[in-house]
Amino acid sequence: MKTYIAQRLAIAVLTLLGMSLVIFTLLRLAPGDIVDILFSTAGYVSPSEKQGIMQELGMDRPYWVQYLDWLRQIVTFDLGKSYRYDLPAWQIIRPLLPVTIELAALSMVVAVFLGVPTGVISAVRQDSALDYVLRVISLAGLSMPAFWLGMVIILTLVTWLRWIPPLTYVPPTEDFKLHAVQFALPALAVGYRSSALIMRITRSSLLEVLREDYIRTAWAKGQSGRIVIWRHALKNAMLPVVTVIGIEFAFLIGGLVVTETVFNLPGVARFLVQAILWRDYPIVQNLVMFIAIVVILSNLLVDMLYGVLDPRVRYGG
Amino acid sequence: MPRLRSLAVLIAVTLVAVALATPATSQTPQVSQTPKAGGVLNIMLREDLAQGFAIHETATISVVWPAMPCLNNLVLFDPLRKTESVDTIIGELAEKWSWQDNYRNLVFFLRKGVKWHDGRPFTSKDVKFTFDMLREAPDAPAKLRINPRKDWYANVEAIETPDPYTAVFRLKKPQPSLLMLLASGYTPVYAAHVPPASYRTGCVGTGPFRVKEWRKGEYVEYVKNPDYFVQGRPYLDGLKYFVIVERGTRQAALQAGKLDVSFPGETSKTAAEQLKKAVPQLVITPFSANVSDNIIMNIKKPPFDNVKVRLAVSHAIDRRALVRAVHQDGAVVGASLAPKPWGFWGLGEKDLAALPGYGKPADEKAKAKKLMAEVGFSPEKPLRVEMVTRAIAIYVDMASFVINELKQVGIEATLKQIETAQWHAMATRGDYQIGANLTGIGPDDPDANFLENYGCGSPRNYSQYCSEEIMKLIDRQSQELDVKKRLAMVAAIQKKLEADAARPILAWRLDYFTVWPHVKNLVPHQSIYNFGRMQEAWSAK
Repeated sequence: MKTYIAQRLAIAVLTLLGMSLVIFTLLRLAPGDIVDILFSTAGYVSPSEKQGIMQELGMDRPYWVQYLDWLRQIVTFDLGKSYRYDLPAWQIIRPLLPVTIELAALSMVVAVFLGVPTGVISAVRQDSALDYVLRVISLAGLSMPAFWLGMVIILTLVTWLRWIPPLTYVPPTEDFKLHAVQFALPALAVGYRSSALIMRITRSSLLEVLREDYIRTAWAKGQSGRIVIWRHALKNAMLPVVTVIGIEFAFLIGGLVVTETVFNLPGVARFLVQAILWRDYPIVQNLVMFIAIVVILSNLLVDMLYGVLDPRVRYGG
Repeated sequence: MPRLRSLAVLIAVTLVAVALATPATSQTPQVSQTPKAGGVLNIMLREDLAQGFAIHETATISVVWPAMPCLNNLVLFDPLRKTESVDTIIGELAEKWSWQDNYRNLVFFLRKGVKWHDGRPFTSKDVKFTFDMLREAPDAPAKLRINPRKDWYANVEAIETPDPYTAVFRLKKPQPSLLMLLASGYTPVYAAHVPPASYRTGCVGTGPFRVKEWRKGEYVEYVKNPDYFVQGRPYLDGLKYFVIVERGTRQAALQAGKLDVSFPGETSKTAAEQLKKAVPQLVITPFSANVSDNIIMNIKKPPFDNVKVRLAVSHAIDRRALVRAVHQDGAVVGASLAPKPWGFWGLGEKDLAALPGYGKPADEKAKAKKLMAEVGFSPEKPLRVEMVTRAIAIYVDMASFVINELKQVGIEATLKQIETAQWHAMATRGDYQIGANLTGIGPDDPDANFLENYGCGSPRNYSQYCSEEIMKLIDRQSQELDVKKRLAMVAAIQKKLEADAARPILAWRLDYFTVWPHVKNLVPHQSIYNFGRMQEAWSAK
């Protein structure tokens, strides 16, 4: 197990190195840079002044020097300075992380609590009226983008109650109730969509497992429905579900752009888009690396969970 | 008997008065118009501060609007008056001023006892520091990273400070409208004792409010400056500017009362109508954003080096139809300066009617076709060009309309959307044929506009139009002391610019500035850039 984790971590380092190269290159391939944008806010461009700013920001150095400098910064936990805000990148990134992680985690909680039970009910009551109703609800969830649902929630609240969630982040230590409300609404919007996916995977996976011989045996032995479904069938049907949950969580860390924007939550994804538009390389590079690390770690965690759910799974040495 | 009758009348009058007064007091109490101290205003921002509080390094309203409360000018357009002219300028850091030597010397007598937010005293040294830096004087102690309005100060020869409370602007030639430029929100005085770069991350000002916190991407919070030099101001205890990137959320926040004040330039006529329908008590004031829709054509390159082609473009575009279709009547037609009552210097309907593009649409299109035929093109054999515009909805809508108009006279344009990051670099370099553009102007003043957008060699003169005759006229109007004479000169310049199709102006956008009724003394001006000080604003909540 330890060897397996060590191997995976070594591969992760290599993957991150590859990712860093891709991010660095793609950013520089995109037309325009921070200096163009700074001039754009002033409505003109002066080549000589531009050169001066490039020098000030260290952007006139060869690309390979800039790349190695960034790697050095990562290794020494110094993420450089934001071009736009002229402040240490970490100082800007740090407050964004808890917001996005909390929103993604809450969304996943909503998704799992909605998706798994409805998936089970749908599978057990296959082709019943209830199954059809649940499938329609899940299909609706898959069809509705979370940001659209978010905007509908906001507009409904403002139209009927003349109320919308807070416009800035409310820490739980300041006002827990308001904090909960601030996160509950976007988590519901995002969680509903993810729950639809989880529900469908749970249903199809469980249907497959329910047709297995050992389930038939369990029924033949006279075990109760609850034990057969929840203890024998569901545990084995959970492998693909756990995979989906892992992928969804990792996706949400970087994929909450529009939800964060609609609910005005200062999270990673919303800030990342602004940083891309501003070509704020230090912020973009480090945020994308953060997302990559979350993806790698959540994949690793999912792989570890396989062994817990299915004892037949062995980790190679 | 008469005495009894008088008593009865007196009793009756008293009863009627009581009866009339009682319901009034039992209903909603009338809002007192006497300014009330206290309260915080929540104000809309559509993006984070692009360059912090460094107004001198930017031209965007996204900086000027939230940074103005921290700073002061020498002079400012009266916050309580809608019109911006020399007559509506009031002193800020300058207590009074005087023109001397036939408008060659502008002497400012500065206020005493003014303190920067860090406690240091304000003196004429700060004035000299700021304006030497802006005009890039050879001995300037500091340099701005980006200096978009250097041209405004081209006529300033020297700034002298005979004592700590007097600053003299010595001019190369008379320029009465310099005062207008100095009264713009674009012209605050920086502190000489802090590096100009520090305004990108914080703000040491003398203004009515001090920055409490700028949480990046979230909000800017101000608190009242207790040492402010104007007695009893500001009325408010604080201001909070909320960054809300999503337009729908911004409008919902205003509607829900989470925001008290909208963002200048944000609300179109259609949006204002929707808001008013949802919340009838909102106060909506239409005003000129001092932003024009215009067509830039690269005069240095074919085919637009040919004045006939440029004129054909100008004749082809039906301005009034554009105002109806693109702006739903939330704009007005005008030449290179905003027309009355939205601006002071613009041409009237009668003058406009004689210019290309303002006649009957069918006649104008016929003229455009004739001009195109003279250079060998027709709708059947069209001139193919690429039209660039910024990849922002308000630009694209206008460009799409223009493309359709041009098609009818034999110019087939394909639309290319340019990302903001590249737009100004591309326009300044002249890497385009024709473009649909928006231009915002600080103060409603000919100098500010002409020098920036039509001056030979100006980086914002995207068409690269350069006329010696026009430059002389610009120079002459700038020195003219008589307003009537100057108006006539400015009108002549505008007509000539349109006749040369230097940068055909299509429309002047109106903004429908929206506030809740408890917001008082926040008066939109003739330009979005000049009324953000918040010194006089108060809340009746």
